[in-house]
Amino acid sequence: MEINRVVFSHDKRRNHLKDIQAALAPGRITTIIGPNGCGKSTLLGVMSGLYRPQSGQAVIDGKAVHRYSARELARKLAAVHQQNSAPADITVERLVGYGRIPRRGWFGGNGEDDREAIEWALSCTDLADKRETSVEQLSGGERQRVWLAMALAQKTPMLFLDEPTTFLDMYYQLEMLELVRRLNREYNLTIAMVLHDINQAIRYSDYIIAMKDGRVVAQGLPQEVITRESVKDIYGVHVIVGHEEGAGIYIVPVGIGTSTRR
Amino acid sequence: MTMKSIKLVALFAGLLAVLAAVFLYSAVTGSIKITAPELVAGLLGGTDERVDVIRDLRLPRILLSMLVGATLAVSGSLLQAVMRNPLADAGIIGISAGAGVFTLVLAGLFPMLFFWTPLFAFIGGAIACVLVYTFAWQGGLSPLRMVLVGIAVHMIFTGIGQLAPAFVRSSIGQANLISASTFSFTTWGDVRLLLLYGTIGLILAYVLFPWCNMLLLQDKTAHHLGLHVVRARVVLSAVAVLLAGSAAAVGGFLFFVGLLVPAISRICVGSDHRVSLPFTALAGALLVLAADTVGRTVAHPLEIPASVILMIIGGPFLLVLLKRGGRMYGN
Repeated sequence: MEINRVVFSHDKRRNHLKDIQAALAPGRITTIIGPNGCGKSTLLGVMSGLYRPQSGQAVIDGKAVHRYSARELARKLAAVHQQNSAPADITVERLVGYGRIPRRGWFGGNGEDDREAIEWALSCTDLADKRETSVEQLSGGERQRVWLAMALAQKTPMLFLDEPTTFLDMYYQLEMLELVRRLNREYNLTIAMVLHDINQAIRYSDYIIAMKDGRVVAQGLPQEVITRESVKDIYGVHVIVGHEEGAGIYIVPVGIGTSTRR
Repeated sequence: MTMKSIKLVALFAGLLAVLAAVFLYSAVTGSIKITAPELVAGLLGGTDERVDVIRDLRLPRILLSMLVGATLAVSGSLLQAVMRNPLADAGIIGISAGAGVFTLVLAGLFPMLFFWTPLFAFIGGAIACVLVYTFAWQGGLSPLRMVLVGIAVHMIFTGIGQLAPAFVRSSIGQANLISASTFSFTTWGDVRLLLLYGTIGLILAYVLFPWCNMLLLQDKTAHHLGLHVVRARVVLSAVAVLLAGSAAAVGGFLFFVGLLVPAISRICVGSDHRVSLPFTALAGALLVLAADTVGRTVAHPLEIPASVILMIIGGPFLLVLLKRGGRMYGN
């Protein structure tokens, strides 16, 4: 996917995305980071066709995202959000089966392909034993995996995740990210996600796009993008950037000092 | 068969049995007394005068109340899915009043267009629906805001309805939107009208059940599953207005049917519209038939309108739902 000079405003007064130029490397994990309100979720929304840019475009296979019909697009990319809602009594298997709708239509039953895709999505996310469980009885981590499974059942080459770990504790956060990485490595999925935790972004991304005030301020390999200066500039936070054998680079925030964030 | 499907079959069978029983009781009870075998024999070609009266007066009334119940209940179900809000009901948010006013005006000005009243009612209902959306929509419909805006819209149309007799001279010029629903003067013409338009609406509603299910998820999620969310909302709202409008065109101004019945259906058969829509239609038919039957028998020879009985049951129920807030949806 290429993002060409995208300008977008939610309210037509202030531009929330200003001339965004970026690209997703096929078969890689790209993470968008940045402070609250910098436009990172908005950018993901434009990329996934939720918002139509005022100018510029996000392009998949040579065609602008907003020119695809909703169903065509749902065969190209799937998305998981930080907060989701579903009827409390729906079973895991049925909700995951919704992921097949873009392929099989509204009314048809599940064919062989559909059943295979659902089984695959359930086993990837380790939910095969929970298929008959209703969504309300799941833990937060399991619930988020159900939404991931639904997206996987769409069998799209691209997968977008908008802050997929926000409401999870540390264990489930890592579980989710490990799973995302495994899916990327094993099935060559192109993944774009928005994360808050910089250390997680460093550890689980091939590329990082850093945003501030609706602009992309840096993009590239994690060790190129995350430096003492860039974090200070983007977040207004003083950090120590360390390097640990086996874990790569990491940051430790040490304070906000006298810096103020505009 | 799994436990779940056995339970479903049992629920549907039970509902149908109760509906049949109430139907039969209602058919043989009233100012003309008759036994069930006599009635059946008479309908199959007897010469019993009592049967003729029942055929002309009581049967259309029974059928109409069932149809009104089914259409209003399903209309409520659709509105609740579209607005993602368990309090949506064509009566409460003014759709029925809008449809009713248009019906009154058409009946007063062009009585010969009787056959087209449901379409005219549809326009009135649609105007009310658009008003509610325009004033209550803020990236979603909060239950309370929708109810408040709905009450305002309802008041406006009810007020216009009360004004209408002053300007429109007609036989039903004195009709009152609130007390109109006694079903006392139902004719086979009314039944045929609602059978036609209501059935079209019910079939459309059932065909569109996957959209209702999708809309229970978030808009974003539905979009990513390939649903054109805005189009689905508009189409489903139109079907809901057609259903409520058709009911209003034949005098069905019943509050709370669209609120009570879908809520009970959700508790009984769950949130999947493939199952809950047919259940809602049958349960709606049962509720209104029962209310009308009680209304015309309990204080005989006085008649209590079905709408009054439903207000008495439905009001407290609405209070309970308000107390529970929006917890019906969401995980």
